[in-house]
Amino acid sequence: MQLFIGGTCAGKRDAVRRRFDAPHWHSAHAGCRLEAWRSLAETRCLVLEGWERWIGQRLAGEPDDDRLRQAMVRELDALQYWEAEQGGEVVLILLEMGRGIVPLGTDKRRLRDLNGWLAQDAAVRCERAWYVWNGQVKELSR
Amino acid sequence: MIAFISGGARSGKSAHAEALARRWQAERGGARYYLATSSGGNDEWQARIGRHRQARGEGWITLEEPVDLCAALERVESGGTLLLDCLTLWASQLLYSSEYASELDEAQGVAMIERLLAEARQRNVTLVIVSNDVNEGMPPEDAEVWRYLAFLQRVHRLVVQEADEVIQVMAGLPQVWKRRGEERS
Repeated sequence: MQLFIGGTCAGKRDAVRRRFDAPHWHSAHAGCRLEAWRSLAETRCLVLEGWERWIGQRLAGEPDDDRLRQAMVRELDALQYWEAEQGGEVVLILLEMGRGIVPLGTDKRRLRDLNGWLAQDAAVRCERAWYVWNGQVKELSR
Repeated sequence: MIAFISGGARSGKSAHAEALARRWQAERGGARYYLATSSGGNDEWQARIGRHRQARGEGWITLEEPVDLCAALERVESGGTLLLDCLTLWASQLLYSSEYASELDEAQGVAMIERLLAEARQRNVTLVIVSNDVNEGMPPEDAEVWRYLAFLQRVHRLVVQEADEVIQVMAGLPQVWKRRGEERS
């Protein structure tokens, strides 16, 4: 798995398009449910984006942050397993949203925290992690 | 030569940009200009401007132009060095200033930047452009803030693509993304 992370409109999609040939885009912005990636059996390269939306959709149904974090981790583990089984490639696009002021609303604070934890949990499972900044791409060292 | 320097609030980006403009002017000769995109403002804003002016020191010809960057460039002599500080303020004035908002949109703003970069190269003016990293917090909910952020990021990506030197400043330390002669990602 590979991770691309950067701020709003930083150029993350273009960075992925430049590096991967004909990937399948599984996007929350196009209305895809997170778990529906499992039906894409023929895909060789799978890009998943809109994780902040998928987290946001689960906030109301799961008031416990730790349990919600673990639920997202299970999705990452399933993707990693699928990648190994299929011999394919999984690309995760995550939004960096942790560098502004702390939001006043509880849901927004939870979303920001969970998105940050997801980024950490994704990074440790990915072979490579990339930071995208104003269209430039830099590999993050461990 | 064109440089793009960005970072968070009080990251040291202006000081780094000023040092770079001084160094490039020393190497290339010509006059050194400071283009302030801010104008007017309240007492607190004037104090900020005064603090920046004092930190810059002597040897700068100061220009003030809130929106029309190409008109400001025309006032720079060929072979000079121009420090533009900053794009975030310029972008907000282009979209929302009562004087310009009804006339200019994002596409015209992008076209203005394209023209600025091309004319600077054509007239052998060295450009050092300063901006702010404002896109790594929570995504905005307000449509107008989204519009502003998308516009500013579009301008950033354009300038970064065209620039010879691209630097992100964090805690006063410059992180080099691109430097003349080095490979572009």
